[in-house]
Amino acid sequence: MQDALIRALADAPYRSSPSWRLQEVASQDRVERFARFLARHFYHERLVHFFKYSRALARVTGRRPEAVLTGADFEALLPTLVLGSRASAVAVAGLAVEHVRGGDAAAVPYLEDLLAYEQGMIVVESGARLWRDGSLEPDDKQRSIPIRVEGTMLLDLQVDLPLVLPALLRPWTAVPQPPRRPIRLLIARSSRGRVSVARTSNAIATLLELADGRKTVEDLAREAGLRPAELEATLDELVEIGAVRFSTGS
Amino acid sequence: MPELKVGAFYNPHLGEALAGATGIDHLAMADPPRGDDPWWPKIKERYTLLLHDYLGQLSEPLDEHSIQRARSLAELYHTPWVAEHFQCLHTEDGTYNLNYVFPPLYTEEFLNRFATNAAALQARLDQPLVMENIPGFFDVAASRIPEPVWLRRFFDRTDLGFLLDLPHVWLEAHYHGADPKVFLAEFPLDRVVEVHVAGVAEDPDLAGPWIAPIAPSDEMLDLMVHALARCPNVKAVTFDAFSPTLTAEVLFSSVERIRRAVGN
Repeated sequence: MQDALIRALADAPYRSSPSWRLQEVASQDRVERFARFLARHFYHERLVHFFKYSRALARVTGRRPEAVLTGADFEALLPTLVLGSRASAVAVAGLAVEHVRGGDAAAVPYLEDLLAYEQGMIVVESGARLWRDGSLEPDDKQRSIPIRVEGTMLLDLQVDLPLVLPALLRPWTAVPQPPRRPIRLLIARSSRGRVSVARTSNAIATLLELADGRKTVEDLAREAGLRPAELEATLDELVEIGAVRFSTGS
Repeated sequence: MPELKVGAFYNPHLGEALAGATGIDHLAMADPPRGDDPWWPKIKERYTLLLHDYLGQLSEPLDEHSIQRARSLAELYHTPWVAEHFQCLHTEDGTYNLNYVFPPLYTEEFLNRFATNAAALQARLDQPLVMENIPGFFDVAASRIPEPVWLRRFFDRTDLGFLLDLPHVWLEAHYHGADPKVFLAEFPLDRVVEVHVAGVAEDPDLAGPWIAPIAPSDEMLDLMVHALARCPNVKAVTFDAFSPTLTAEVLFSSVERIRRAVGN
């Protein structure tokens, strides 16, 4: 019953379904009101955290990302939202991106890259997470197949964005500008919900593309052109940040 | 009235102001310190720190990872006690997560679960564990035991401390049309170690008041004074506001008003 109630508060489609309503667990009006409150709180926290650089630029762009949460488009989303789901993260982030993009971007020539980064962060963070130990996944890499974790993202940018982000959060008068050189970022989320961002190489990107859940570690080493020891170390790092996991091969 | 410590929550965006502040005895830590927080060393040096992070939901046993995290944070802060909540914020399989405190069903089953798991956590901590009450916006038909009775049975069974969140009591009284002081009298006030005080504001979704990062009202401070006089073992009062929208002016003025109200 507790789980059903939590699901009803988190999952709008379930909350409006007969299977929930017929249980008559609590006042439907009160449940609906609290669910809407929770949804706005849930995505306010995320927009404030993951779009903090766009928030810092709001005095230039005139657009605060979290303003979308009191708009008609978010109201229209409420009946569809499942808190923490990837689809809902994509939808809410999309509203924030469109809102900020519609402001005065003249002084922020890298705004599109910044919005892609912030949107990537909030989407990668979404999804069910591990709250307690007890995964049934074996960790013996010799008998397991590496697989790219769903939601792991490779992001190609035209500017070296990580170099400018700390400056955006410090006092500034002129908008901080990053070096104009292309980079590739890897954004991943650990099983417990921690989001990591790292510069990545073409070799890592190739590795992630090859880790399709069918190729063994030996296959990956051969096709990625990596020495086995180098591959093992790289896979360990990718597992730690949540970009790769191991599943039992058949 | 006993000599009480008066404090607030550590809000990192107010780190510079808090690092140089006076009149605040302790800071509750809702999140671990960030590696890039320039004010953390001074905050750690200057303040008594209270562990008030999310350690886990005690409707289930905490796993070893969570217990070690709790122990590690408790040691980092040298906290005099460790706080957790009577909360269920995610489904048991982790699929759905509210990311917000939500009370358990007040049933025999959940009483047993919380008592067992809280006692197990206490056994692994080097500091006393205190548990905080959580407000419910609506009644659930399946909750068979009144909340104050459920809490008293929990504390009688575990002998743990009670972190009394007064706005949570005030809100429940409000939404039931009850007098907050009458409702408060039903709670096990003899178990209270720490009291939270905060502001409430109208929320448009709820069409009524809810916790907000604003100053406590005179009515809330009056309830606080009333409560403290009935909590013989209380050690601390904390201004319970943790939000990126919290201003330094609200934080410091609220702590000062609390301190004046308790007579410190």
